Amino acid sequence: MADEMKMRATMQGDVADVKVRMTHIMETGLRKDAKTDKFIPAHFIDQIVATLNGKTVLDAQWGVAIAKNPFIGFRIKGAKPGDKIAISAVDNLGTKYGGETTVVAAK
Amino acid sequence: MKSKSSLVVFALGISIAAPIAAVEPAPEAKSNTIPLELEKPAYATPWVRYKGWPEEKWNEYSTLSTLKPSLPANPMKIEGAIVGDPKKGEKLAFDRTRGGSCVACHVMGKPTPSMPGNVGPDLSAYATWGRSDEYTFNYIYDHRSTNPNTVMAPWGTHKLFSADEIKDIVAFLKTQNSPAEFKDKLENPATRPVPVETRDNLDPFLNEAMAAMEKGAELFVKDGASKKSCASCHADPEQKFKTWAATMPRNEPRLGKVMGVEEFVTRHARATTGEEYPLQSSQNLSLSIYLRYLANGQPINVDTNSQAHKEAIKRGTELLNRKLGQLNMSCVDCHTAERGGSKWIRGQWLGEFRGQLDHFPTWRTSRSEIWDIGKRFQWCNVSIRANELQPGAPEYGDLELALSALNNGLKISVPGIRH
Repeated sequence: MADEMKMRATMQGDVADVKVRMTHIMETGLRKDAKTDKFIPAHFIDQIVATLNGKTVLDAQWGVAIAKNPFIGFRIKGAKPGDKIAISAVDNLGTKYGGETTVVAAK
Repeated sequence: MKSKSSLVVFALGISIAAPIAAVEPAPEAKSNTIPLELEKPAYATPWVRYKGWPEEKWNEYSTLSTLKPSLPANPMKIEGAIVGDPKKGEKLAFDRTRGGSCVACHVMGKPTPSMPGNVGPDLSAYATWGRSDEYTFNYIYDHRSTNPNTVMAPWGTHKLFSADEIKDIVAFLKTQNSPAEFKDKLENPATRPVPVETRDNLDPFLNEAMAAMEKGAELFVKDGASKKSCASCHADPEQKFKTWAATMPRNEPRLGKVMGVEEFVTRHARATTGEEYPLQSSQNLSLSIYLRYLANGQPINVDTNSQAHKEAIKRGTELLNRKLGQLNMSCVDCHTAERGGSKWIRGQWLGEFRGQLDHFPTWRTSRSEIWDIGKRFQWCNVSIRANELQPGAPEYGDLELALSALNNGLKISVPGIRH
């Protein structure tokens, strides 16, 4: 799944700064195909969960307002270098996406 | 330069001595043996302007490839005061659909809309300057009869405003009699801070074009229709292409024109891996970014000494000075400090030639698109209401080489990130 998700987690003081970039078309279902004049079917991530060593730290519901190739950044208090952060996302068609990274010390 | 050319001879010498090197031509070798497809256009045909760009055509006016005569109009004789409607004039002066509104280049008085530019003089107290109506009218209608190199568009001759409309604008200018007031230093082009790009353009979380770079690296090792990949012949690309992109564009004698990285990718892939990566396709941009990324940190180092390049740079320099489009503007009008360069056009900073190339292809945050230098040239054309040329046009090659020569020594940092 490396293709769909790129992650980085770096310690900043006592919080881990997590950045995630996903590759997804995030189609709203409201756009028309210029050639066929038919609506392009909706296809977007609607749920995203982040875990720290298996424990959920973020659970979000997304909608069509999120841009194509979404980016999410958040910070986790109490994380330390070596901790595992995992992301799982599901889109409205049921396709699952996931990624994992290890927290690294600040540069 | 002397030592460089002897190096080239050395590299060629090796390839003659060792047959194995024939499948691995040194990228530095200026040889006619590099496989290139030479017949077809490098872009997807037929060429149509990009979606979302203005659809207007300006066929009556000069482009980079076609000169259309445009003679300055003789100054019109006007006796006494012009009668016009200052209210209508104000509306016209601020109308952005007719080539950008006066405010793009001039600070006006109190009613000035947000973010005026300062390419032209501050007109906020124009009424106190003591200019005759005749002078003002002709200055707007077509200033070229007085100053052939003026940056001011020939608003009347090039049909952006009718004579009656210009009379209304004159009437409006006659109401401008007090300095403009700015609510903060951002509004005033004289005090607005010059934009500085400080984002780390190689951070994949900041620059979406880094994903294209990774895609390019994948394409590089992917087998094409011929069951070969770029890597089949070019092992160790990190070393082999350390300086190559910094030496592009180059004259290609078989095509009789200058060709940059992008078109090279198209034609070389057709002749080797059998893949079709036309100009402006996502694959072409990805590979072009990847190949330039490998040369990151290297100083731009295009050849300016060979006869072919001297001629191309001469042609390119002429194009930099050519007045184009309905607005009758040349590259130097906006991008040299003597004219509009290092000034504001509305809220946008006009950079000078040096520093405009090292970051292309670049991620444009305002458009969520990757633009190579060719697309940037096309947009410049359309912005001054001149028909753009098709991607890979020989004129763009000459321009790219002339611009590269002006940027020689600056370090490549691709993909860039810009507004």
